[in-house]
Amino acid sequence: MVQRMTIWRALPALAVLALPLCFAQGAAAQSKEVIVQDPGGAYGESLRRIMYGPFEKETGIKVVTVQEARSGPRLKAQAEAGKASWDLAFIFDQETKILGDCCLAEIDYKKLSESAQKTLAAMPDNLKRPKGVALQVIGVGLAWNKDKYKAGAEPQSWADFWDVKKFPGRRCMPAWSRFTFEAALMADGVPKDKLYPIDMERALKKLAEIKPHVTKWWTTAAQPPQLLLDGEADMCMAYTGSMSKFALEGAPVAISWNQGFVYYDFFSIPKGAPNYDNALKVLSWRLDPKRAAELTSNFPVALPSSVVFDAADPKISGSWANNPKNLAQAIEWSPDYWGAISPDGRSTNEEHGQEKLNALLAQ
Amino acid sequence: MTAAATGFPGPRRGSLRGRLASPVLLLLPAGLFLGFIYLLPVIDLVRLSVSGPTWSTFFERVFSVPLYWDSLVRTMQISLTVATLCLLLGYPTALLIRRSSGITQILITAAVILPYFIAILIRTYAWMVLLGRNGPVNKLLTGLGLLSEPAQLLFSRGTVLLGMTAVLLPIMVLSIYSSVSRLDAALPRAAQASGAGPIATFWRIMLPLTLPGMGAGFLLVFVAALGFFITPTLLGGPGDQMFAMHIVQQADFINSEGFLQALAVVLLVITLLFVGVAGHFLGFEFIWGGSKAASPSGKAAGAGAATPRRSLLSGLADRIGWPVLRLLGRLGPAWGRWTVLVLAGAVIATLIVPILVVMVISFSSASYLTFPPPGFSLRWYEKFFSDPNWMDAFRHSAVIAAASAVISVLLGASAAMGIVRSEIRGKSVIMLLLVSPVIVPPVVLGLSLYSLFLRFDLVGSVWGLASAHAIGGIPLVVIIVAAALQGVDRRLEQAAALHGASPLTVFRTVTLPAIAPGLAAAGFFAFLHSFDELVLSLFLSSAQLKTLPLMLWADINYQLNPVLAVVSSLEVLLVVIGLALAGPVLARTRAGA
Repeated sequence: MVQRMTIWRALPALAVLALPLCFAQGAAAQSKEVIVQDPGGAYGESLRRIMYGPFEKETGIKVVTVQEARSGPRLKAQAEAGKASWDLAFIFDQETKILGDCCLAEIDYKKLSESAQKTLAAMPDNLKRPKGVALQVIGVGLAWNKDKYKAGAEPQSWADFWDVKKFPGRRCMPAWSRFTFEAALMADGVPKDKLYPIDMERALKKLAEIKPHVTKWWTTAAQPPQLLLDGEADMCMAYTGSMSKFALEGAPVAISWNQGFVYYDFFSIPKGAPNYDNALKVLSWRLDPKRAAELTSNFPVALPSSVVFDAADPKISGSWANNPKNLAQAIEWSPDYWGAISPDGRSTNEEHGQEKLNALLAQ
Repeated sequence: MTAAATGFPGPRRGSLRGRLASPVLLLLPAGLFLGFIYLLPVIDLVRLSVSGPTWSTFFERVFSVPLYWDSLVRTMQISLTVATLCLLLGYPTALLIRRSSGITQILITAAVILPYFIAILIRTYAWMVLLGRNGPVNKLLTGLGLLSEPAQLLFSRGTVLLGMTAVLLPIMVLSIYSSVSRLDAALPRAAQASGAGPIATFWRIMLPLTLPGMGAGFLLVFVAALGFFITPTLLGGPGDQMFAMHIVQQADFINSEGFLQALAVVLLVITLLFVGVAGHFLGFEFIWGGSKAASPSGKAAGAGAATPRRSLLSGLADRIGWPVLRLLGRLGPAWGRWTVLVLAGAVIATLIVPILVVMVISFSSASYLTFPPPGFSLRWYEKFFSDPNWMDAFRHSAVIAAASAVISVLLGASAAMGIVRSEIRGKSVIMLLLVSPVIVPPVVLGLSLYSLFLRFDLVGSVWGLASAHAIGGIPLVVIIVAAALQGVDRRLEQAAALHGASPLTVFRTVTLPAIAPGLAAAGFFAFLHSFDELVLSLFLSSAQLKTLPLMLWADINYQLNPVLAVVSSLEVLLVVIGLALAGPVLARTRAGA
C-alpha cells in the first residue's frame, strides 16, 4: 500500500482537483450512527425488527446496515487504505486470525453492559477472543422438500444426497469449496474424523458425479429455501437457520443434522472503525440474553451461550445449531484447515480449493 | 487536418486566430478530470498487476490455470454468438422501422428505444421472472401440454445468450438504423426503375450502404458483451462464468492483490485489442455512432481508403451471397416481407414482453414470483413507498444522478466545443480518448477506481460516486453536443464575431440557443446513465449511500420478491416520461444534425 501511495504523491497538481470532492465527504462521519454488516433476507428483517429498531429508539443512534455476504476482503482493503468504513462486521473463525493484526481492533469487553457480561461469562473462552466474539452459531445441513421425499424415505446422509437412483430429483449446493468438499468425501466413505487434511482431488472427483444433478450452486443463505419452495431443487445443502425458519412457519421442508457442519460467525470491530463506541453498544445489545433469545425465536440462529439457551423456548431451540442433540450428529468442521496457507503457498486452502471447484463447475 | 483550416478564406482565418486559440483550453477541464479519475487509476491498475516477484508472475497464473483461460475463451464465444444473434435479429428490425410509417413506426421505435434506456439489471431481472419455474413461459408450455412439468429454463447457456441478446439488441438496431435512415430513398427506387429486382436492390444498394452500421453495431455489441457481468451472473449456471465474473469473485479473496489486477488488465487489453483492430478497418468513429468529429477532409480520406477494401470484400461476398440470395429470390417477394415481419415481431416481443410481465407482477398479491398473479393488490407499492430504505435509496440515486449529469454536461459540453471549434491537431485521437470510457469494461473501471477512492476518502460520497458515473456520462455528452455543434452554421458565428461580438457573446447569442436541445438531451442521458449504474457503485458505494440499483442487486441476491417489480415499473415510468419530454428535443437535434 505504501508503494501505491507514491504514485499519488507524484501528482500533487491533480490532487488539487480532488479537494472539493473531499470536502463534500466530511458531513457523513457523525457519531450518531453505527455501520453494521447485515446478512439480509429474513434474518436481516428479524434483526431490524428486534434489535436495531428498538436500539435506535432507545439510544438515538442510527443503525446503518450493509448487506454483504463476505466481509474479510473488504476489511482488508479498507485497513490497507487506512479508511475503515464499517463498525461491526461478521467474519469467519479463520479470519479472526488472518486479519487480526492488520485489520481488527481489540474489543473492550469491560465496556459492555452488565447483562452482556452475564452472557459472555457463560461462553467458552475460545468464542470470546480479543478481536472477535462469536455471536452466531451457524449450521449447514441437508435439507429437502417434504412433498418430494415422504417420511420413511428421506435422505439421511451425504451418501444419500449423492444417491440419485434411490433419491431422484434436483439438488442444490453452495458454490464453495468449504462444506462441499467435506460432504463429497463423506459420501465417498471417508469417516468423519479422517476428513482433514482434505484430499481435494478425491473430493472433486466425487463432486463431478453429482454435478449433473445440481441445478443451482448457490451463493447466499436466502437462495436454498427459495429454490426448494419454488421447486427449482428438491434437496439442498443449506444453511439451517433460514431453512428452519421456513420449517417452523410450516413450509414443507425438513433438515437432517447428520454429518452437518457447525461453526461460529465472529463479530469484529475493524481497526479505526468510525464509531467504535457505538459498535460496543450494539454488541451489548445483541449479547443481552433476553433480546438474543427473542431474536433467535424469530430467526433460529443461536448465540452460543447457555444463558441464551436457557431463556429460549425449547420448541425453537430444537432447531439451533448448538442444540446438544444436533451437535452430536454434526461433524467438527475445521476453520483452521481452511484458513491455513495451501501447499503451493499462493493462497489459503480455501482459495486454492475454490479455484479448483470453479474449474470443475465451469466444465 | 490542414485541409480543415482551409475551409475558410485566409484573411478571415487570420483575424480569428486569437479567438481560435482559446477553444483548445475548453478541453482542459474534461482532460484534467478524466486524467485524474480515469487514466490514473487505470495506470495504477496496470502497475499493481506487474508488482509480483517478476512482472509476469500474475499473468502467468492467469494463463496457466485452465479456469481463467477457459473462461476467456468462453467469454469470446458468448460475445461472438450474442453479437451474431443481435445482427440477425437487429437488421430486419431496423428495416421494418424504416419501411413502416405513422403510428406503427412510432410504436416500433418506442419498443426498441424504451428498453435501451431501462437499466440492464432490471431487464435481466425481467427475464428471471419470465423464465422462472412459476413464470409465464413455463405456465404457457405446461398449459398447452407441451411440457408435463415446468422445465428448468434459468441458469443455462441458452438463457445467458437469450438474456444478453435481448439486453444488447437495441444498440444493434439503433446502430443499423442510423445507416439505414441516411439512405437516400431515391436510390432503391432508381435501382428498381433501372430494372433491378428487389433482391438485386437489396444486395447492390441496401447492404453495401448499411454495412458500416452493421459493422459498428456488431463491434459495439461484441465489446460490450466481453465485459458483461450482471446478466451472466443472474441468468447463468456455473458453466457460464464469464471473465468479468472472475474479477468480481477474486475481489472477494483476501490474498489476491496483484492477481486480481492482472485479471482486469487482461480483460482490458483484450477489449482494447478488438477495438483497435476494428477501428483500424472501420475507423474509430464507430464508437460514437459515426458522427465524425474530424474535419470533412478526414471523412473524405477515410472513405477513399475504405473503397478498395470494400470492393475487395464485396467481390468475395458476391461469389457466395449472390447465389444464395437468388435461391431465396425464387420464394417470391412476399417471403421477404414476411421474414422481416416475423423476425422483427419476435424482436419487439422479446424487448417488450419481459417489461410488461414485470409490470403486471408488481401488482401481484403473492409474496413470491408467480405468473399470472393469484390476485391483484397494491401491497408491494405500499411496501416500497413506506420503506425508508427504499426511499433513501431513491433519493440518493436521484441526487447522485443529478450531480453526475451536471458534471458530465459542464465538462463534456466544453470539451465538445473545444474539439469542434478549435484547430487542434489530432482531433480524432482526442475524441477517441474522451469517448474511450464507454468501451472499458465497468468491472475494470470499478476495480481501478476503488483504490483511488479509498486514498482520497471518496468511498460512499455523493460527489465521488457522481464523478465516477460522470466518467461514462462525459462521452455521451461529448458525442451528442459535438453532433449538435456541427449542425450549427459556423458562418453565423463568424458573422457575429466580425461585427464585434466577443467570443462569449457569440456563444451566448448564437451557439448556445442552437445547441440547447442537444444539451438538454445530453443531460437527460447522463442522468439516466448514472441513475442506472450498478457495477461501479458496487465497488465504490457505502452503507450510508445505497443507490436504487444497489438495493435491487442486494434484493435479487437475497430475496426475490415483487418489490423489485415495483421498482422496475417505476423506472419504466420514469424513462417513458423522460423520453416523452426529451423526444421533441431529440427530434430537433437530429433534424439539426
